[in-house]
Amino acid sequence: MKPLFEQNHYEILETHPAATREEIERAYRLALATYTDDSLAGYSVFAEGDAAALRERIEAAYRVLSDSRMRSEYDATLQVDRQEGPLPAEPSAPLVPVESATGGGPLPRQMSEFAHLDDGTGDFDGERLRHFRIRCGMEIEEIARVTKVSPTYLRFIEEERFADLPDSVYVRGFVTAYANCVGLDGNDVVASYMKRFDKGRGTRREGRFFDNR
Amino acid sequence: MNKLAAKLRVGPESSHRARLIPVGGGKGGVGKSFIVANLAASLARMGHRVVAVDGDLEGANLHTCVGIPRPRASLADFVAQREEDLGKLILDTPIPNLQLIAATDGNLATPQPTQSRRVRLMRELRELDADFVFFDLGAGTHAAVMDYFMIGDDGVIVIVPEPTSVENAYGFVRAAFYRRLRLAMASHNMRKIVTIAMDQRNERGIRTPLELLREIQRLDPAEGTRFVETMRAFRPRLVINDVRTAEDIRLGFSIQGVCRKFFGIEAEYLGYVNHDESVHRSVRAMRPLVDAYPRSDAAVYLSRIARKLLADGAASRSREGSI
Repeated sequence: MKPLFEQNHYEILETHPAATREEIERAYRLALATYTDDSLAGYSVFAEGDAAALRERIEAAYRVLSDSRMRSEYDATLQVDRQEGPLPAEPSAPLVPVESATGGGPLPRQMSEFAHLDDGTGDFDGERLRHFRIRCGMEIEEIARVTKVSPTYLRFIEEERFADLPDSVYVRGFVTAYANCVGLDGNDVVASYMKRFDKGRGTRREGRFFDNR
Repeated sequence: MNKLAAKLRVGPESSHRARLIPVGGGKGGVGKSFIVANLAASLARMGHRVVAVDGDLEGANLHTCVGIPRPRASLADFVAQREEDLGKLILDTPIPNLQLIAATDGNLATPQPTQSRRVRLMRELRELDADFVFFDLGAGTHAAVMDYFMIGDDGVIVIVPEPTSVENAYGFVRAAFYRRLRLAMASHNMRKIVTIAMDQRNERGIRTPLELLREIQRLDPAEGTRFVETMRAFRPRLVINDVRTAEDIRLGFSIQGVCRKFFGIEAEYLGYVNHDESVHRSVRAMRPLVDAYPRSDAAVYLSRIARKLLADGAASRSREGSI
């Protein structure tokens, strides 16, 4: 709850001092997408130059936080500031607490924000995996680069085109790699996804878009 | 889910007070009534007793969304003082556990309730015999709409990924926040400053709630503290309707970020509903989607949002209990 010019690098990126590298990366991507000149989210709020000014702050914040040495130096200065300046409006103890999913820190975590949308129950189906990927701001091709799994197969996994995927041993590996890449627990996801896979292989795939009543 | 439902009922403050959820959004045609009908029907299908109330006396159509083409009673009867007991206007719908108060047949000359009637309505809504009461607000940011939005604990704002809707949603958030703030301020002078700030072209150049906060903190630190408390308690919830792309889904997070950065307001992204052809078919059939096509994509997302509301409610109730 501080005006922009008082926000520190973490606040600018809407993340928190304990954020992992991946979280910083995700926060940076979302921030960049939010503060484009023609941003839909900023429509009617941004005044002339607001978005550009913010982009500069975002880039500066990312430059520091993405470099481990610069980051720890910066963290040290932050400590000093904390002791000196009174920060009355820090939402660290909100009246309405942040969801219990990952515990409440000063700012909601990027992943816990996703947890808001995902009720945390049900299968890890292709659709759900896709949403986690989108939330991370990653394209299929980027996942392919990291996991070395072909983008075609990654796409089949998301679309649950079980018949077009190779043997289940391979799919198991692909799904694990995919899950880890988007910040999920590979074991959980594989257990859930492979159940669908085995079922889907056995029978005709259920129609996703047509009601079969 | 059943455990949650049980918790909701058994808690010490599980009295007869219904959870009141106003749904607004500023712009017309973004699917407020559709969302209300479906969240209400979702919770009803989970076994909760739900009343969906149409608050749009000048553009009623919630009744159509839940399959009652010609309601025989209406909120208009309460507004015109023909009926004093709001509970008597409740109609059963074809969906078990889901009831409706329609808003048809309003008086064209004086559709809106008077101030005192409005206050009474808000009190009566709380007293309805149900687990959940959804209140479907009309378009715009008229004083009556904003008052209704503030009575609930969990005001929901419906947005579609279009600039017109986003613009009105921000207007709505701002209007709701300033109104609430004005009520929270104890001193007449500070209330006056809030009123000045509500004029978007005010001579003091106060553009955002954050700038207003700085001004008030400077003038009166005690009121500044009240301001911060009001800000923290205000948590509008966002639903993005009719999403088609990944970018549309991200819009909710982006709006959340912009609200935080520019207004200092913590909005909560409750979820999104994707574009789905079966939506159109369900509206044509005058049935909630979750009832007519429960396996459609959009229905799945809608019931996720309903479960989210349920979980949040359980959390906030246990909090109330601990205070």
